[in-house]
Amino acid sequence: MSAPAAAPALEVRGLTKHFGGVVAVDACSFEAPLGQVTGLIGPNGAGKSTAIDLISGFKLPDSGTVLFKGRPLEGLAPHVIARLGLIRTFQSPREWPGLTVLENVVMARWDAGRESFFGGLLGLRGEQRARAASELSKAREILGEFGLANLRNELAGNLSGGQKRLVEFARIRMAQPELVILDEPMGGVNPVLGERMALAIEAFIASGTSVIVVEHNLPFIERVTQHVIVMAQGSVIAEGPFETLRSNQDVVDAYLGEQVRQ
Amino acid sequence: MSAYLISVLTEGAIFGIMALGLNVIWGWSGDFDLAYYGYIAVGAYMTLVLTIGPAQAPAEYILGQQLPYPVAVVIAVVTTMAVGLVVGLIALRHLRGIYFSIVTLGAVYVMYVIAGQFVPLFDGYNGLSGLFDPMGDVFGLDYQSYQYFFLGLSLVMFVIVYAFMARVSSSRFGMALRTLREDERAAAAFGRDIYRLKLKGYVLGAALGGFAGALFAAYLTAFNPSAWSPVEVIVLYSAVLVGGRGNIRGVVLGVLIMGVLVQESTRFLPDLPGLGQLNTDHPQVLLAMRGAIIGLVLVLFLRFRPRGLLPERRFVDRQPAIDVAPRSA
Repeated sequence: MSAPAAAPALEVRGLTKHFGGVVAVDACSFEAPLGQVTGLIGPNGAGKSTAIDLISGFKLPDSGTVLFKGRPLEGLAPHVIARLGLIRTFQSPREWPGLTVLENVVMARWDAGRESFFGGLLGLRGEQRARAASELSKAREILGEFGLANLRNELAGNLSGGQKRLVEFARIRMAQPELVILDEPMGGVNPVLGERMALAIEAFIASGTSVIVVEHNLPFIERVTQHVIVMAQGSVIAEGPFETLRSNQDVVDAYLGEQVRQ
Repeated sequence: MSAYLISVLTEGAIFGIMALGLNVIWGWSGDFDLAYYGYIAVGAYMTLVLTIGPAQAPAEYILGQQLPYPVAVVIAVVTTMAVGLVVGLIALRHLRGIYFSIVTLGAVYVMYVIAGQFVPLFDGYNGLSGLFDPMGDVFGLDYQSYQYFFLGLSLVMFVIVYAFMARVSSSRFGMALRTLREDERAAAAFGRDIYRLKLKGYVLGAALGGFAGALFAAYLTAFNPSAWSPVEVIVLYSAVLVGGRGNIRGVVLGVLIMGVLVQESTRFLPDLPGLGQLNTDHPQVLLAMRGAIIGLVLVLFLRFRPRGLLPERRFVDRQPAIDVAPRSA
């Protein structure tokens, strides 16, 4: 196992979650290095999605700690964690279907001053107006990067599955978190779009956003990650660069087996 | 202007404020709130107990003040917001969809039963009366000119509320409420405090309900449990649905169609053979027809035009924007 090269963006220690008698996440510990793409793989039921829910505050852990930039996250509400700079996506794209693509991107950036009730009412003048205008042009620019500029006035709910994934990536670009956790971004995505997503992930890193990506598509994991964590039955069973995992018998048994034997 | 037209327009303006308040809760936040008519009732009751003076036996009710009408309205609205906050704190904590609706239905029936059965509060089923021409004496108006005055007051209040809601609608706050309606998990993942935001929207909606109730009390001069049944809220829902949920122009159109047209058109139904005069001999038939028409319109719109006559308008960006990457998928 190779040690992560840089200081961790995220540190998970002994995270545990039971659902009734089932242990979904069992003393799970790992680190995601800063400024890198970390893959999180494992068979169905390994506890990857539960782990993400625990990290991002959508579920409460039974025990264990999560440190983000050295700050403990457990017990914090999802919106507080998001405001600290950790944003997660979901297995299925969660666009705001009744808002336009452009509005989806603009609203990805939370704005404390203007979103309060009175702030919202006063928000149409002065400095806030300038901020709104710059936000709008930023959103336009991001949509251009993702090839969605022509669709910006379309309702997000009318887009194809692949386009919705791109909108999700555009929202993350807009929010500029310090760490993003992508939950199966390749689900239902064609290979051409996959290449664009790989490039987008590289752009996240370039703009200072560290990435954790949960994915079943192993070629994609190999393509984008520097470091991979393998989970099975709620715990981490191996970690390291993807190439080294291929030869790890535990990993092969737990997960890669089917593919390697083919 | 005939007395009839004045009353229709006054009711329409008040009904419009009610519908704009419901639109905040259902149109923007996306919560199907069945307690809404309760806030209208609280606004009306509070206005009455603060303006009609001490109770004369055997009537009994709380406060019994003789405050100037505008002061009473402000206190009534604040009280309504407090009641809305309590209901919202409970119902919005974890419940959504039908579960939220059931809890709010419970809440409004609790309000209804307390108002009806707990006599020392608002004199039970007798209700409250005696708010005649508030502010009329200040301006020295006779009965006839007062009707014009109150119509003008209601219309001005409606226009103010409308302008205010137009501002909220396009504000970042209004947009944040819509992200909750569209997908609240995504809203939380992007930094929105769902519970707080929903509560703010809910209390704002309740405040408008209470304000409309305060005007309604002055229009009716009285209020009692037979003046409000919790199912009245369905008429308001039909107005918002028919006009266009989330679009305040649509809501006004919906009020014109459902509130004024449908409510009033049944007055002009032809008399049925053998039944005598519908208006005078069979008022219950008219009431039933009104309910049936509203129900039919609701079903037709839900089936054929669920987004209403004027669907919510989205911001359209007309600045040029160019794709630097090739368009895909």
